Amino acid sequence: MKILIIEDEIELLIAIGNYLTKENYICELAESFSKASDKTSVYEYDIILLDITLPDGNGLELLTTIKKYNRKAGVIILSAKNSLDDKITGLDQGADDYITKPFQLSELNSRIKALLRRRNYAGSNNVVFNEISINTDSKSVTIKDQQIMLTKKEYDILLFLIINPNRVLTKEAIAEHLWDDNIDLADTYDFIYTHLNNIRKKIKMAGGADYIKTLYGMGYKFTDS
Amino acid sequence: MKFLTKINRNYLVLFSVILIVFSISGYYVLKTILIANTRENLFSLEVLIEKQLAENNQIPSLKPIIEVVKVNNQSVNHPEFKEKIKYNSHENEQESFIEYSNVIKVNGAYYSVKLREASVESEDLAASIAAVIFSLLLAAFAISYYITKRLNKTTWNVFENNLKEIENFDFRRNTGLQLQTSGIEEFDRLNMVVNNLTAKLKKDFISLKEFTENASHEIQTPLAIASLNLEEILQQELTEESFSKVVTAIHALKRLSLLNQNLLLLAKIENNQFTTSEFIILNDLVKRKIDEFEPIFNEKNIKVSFTSQSDFKVKMNVQLADILINNLFSNAVNHNIENGLIEISIKEDAFRICNTGMPNQLDNEDIFQRFIKGNSKSHGLGLAIVKQICSTHFLEIKYVKNELHCFTISQKT
Repeated sequence: MKILIIEDEIELLIAIGNYLTKENYICELAESFSKASDKTSVYEYDIILLDITLPDGNGLELLTTIKKYNRKAGVIILSAKNSLDDKITGLDQGADDYITKPFQLSELNSRIKALLRRRNYAGSNNVVFNEISINTDSKSVTIKDQQIMLTKKEYDILLFLIINPNRVLTKEAIAEHLWDDNIDLADTYDFIYTHLNNIRKKIKMAGGADYIKTLYGMGYKFTDS
Repeated sequence: MKFLTKINRNYLVLFSVILIVFSISGYYVLKTILIANTRENLFSLEVLIEKQLAENNQIPSLKPIIEVVKVNNQSVNHPEFKEKIKYNSHENEQESFIEYSNVIKVNGAYYSVKLREASVESEDLAASIAAVIFSLLLAAFAISYYITKRLNKTTWNVFENNLKEIENFDFRRNTGLQLQTSGIEEFDRLNMVVNNLTAKLKKDFISLKEFTENASHEIQTPLAIASLNLEEILQQELTEESFSKVVTAIHALKRLSLLNQNLLLLAKIENNQFTTSEFIILNDLVKRKIDEFEPIFNEKNIKVSFTSQSDFKVKMNVQLADILINNLFSNAVNHNIENGLIEISIKEDAFRICNTGMPNQLDNEDIFQRFIKGNSKSHGLGLAIVKQICSTHFLEIKYVKNELHCFTISQKT
């Protein structure tokens, strides 16, 4: 999977690049409009992460070049603006998703994976982790060919965990993934704990192993090691 | 009182006084002049009589105007004037006369001379002249009043129009201030001053708006860098203490970012940057939000009841409507108690959300202020945003505490 990251903040660019490389993507970096414009017109990418506010041009204008030379690429806009207007303009002009800064890398990963699935890359809409298999079309979860029933939120959490295996996720990160930013809740991350317990129970009852590790009551890690 | 009314009223009062004073004084001045004239006439008549007596020795008589009688009295009286009323047999009525009486000596003989002239006639003349003055002045005044009024109206018309333009002026609309020039120095000077003032205000307004937005965006990027790096640290083997510190730091950054976003949102609402609006049935939105919040309600064991009598339709921006309900729901959850209640009801013209919470009444004004926090974990902007959204959409929000804390939103009447 080849990803082009267009972001003018070098530190952010490197942080995202390092993370995605570790996640086994092939990453190319562009920190300016001109460089991004060159790359998108010559090479092909599967995913392009696009920052709108670039010093030498508007990222939205890059969408035209991308749609011309990289029709297969999925575009996720990275923006500091949490504005519906920008979101709508970006999506109208051919972007596939929109993520507001600051974001968690796990959230970015989950969006990339979802986009790849939508675009039918990796050939399937099945997300598999050992005996657990999730069909993202029918939103069904099977363990050793036995289907288990999860609520919508439980399904969302499990998918988020499986897409970010071996990664420490805080309760806040999971909660944020479940609700959009507009929900302004002071201290209701505890329900994540309840949901995770339910998921554990349901997987166990179907004969699956417990992959959810709790870290000091503050974070979770989905891992088989 | 309008400027013109005030001027006209003063003008009227002043002119009435002038009119009365001039007419009355005119009458008396004329009367005095006429009487002096009468006396002059009587004197010259006496001189004529004296001349006639000296030359012709003939006693003239023209009663009641001229009465000359030869007298033996040798003393010469001082001449005197008297006002007398005498019967005029010709005109068959009482008439008032000015009587001049004197004793004169002509060729050694003494004559008593009495000359009279009707004084009524001179008074009548004075009165009629005064009346003419009065009516002339009145006519002149009426004409000038009418003309000034018309002139004033056309002159002030431009001023009135400009005033209306200034009243309706709004920075947020991108139209400039269109003031008419009148060619009147004072008015045009005023226009210039107003134009300069609004141009400066508009410039400040725009730069403040841009500053808020830019500052806000610039803050988000370093926040993103910091939290991404902290997230990476979290992936390493950490002791519980270090783990907890990193999580706390991430959480604090998240709060800062949320605070920043909400401040920006508030500024944007205040600047009326959400321009598109459409009719929204609040009932549908509330139902959707209840579903969305359900896991949170469940977590806190909060019982939610929703009664909808009829549809409450409001014209507002979709995004803001969403934020409005979100914030009210979040507020009802954040300040609720374990096993608490949330009661939501919608009528044709009002939306109400009530929740259990602290037993004390909250200050009606304070709770909608920025950074007034019920608990230390919220950022204190939620209700300020709610209030701002309401006021830009002609909605009214009221807080009442009876058994529950209740917020009611209704159309502004």
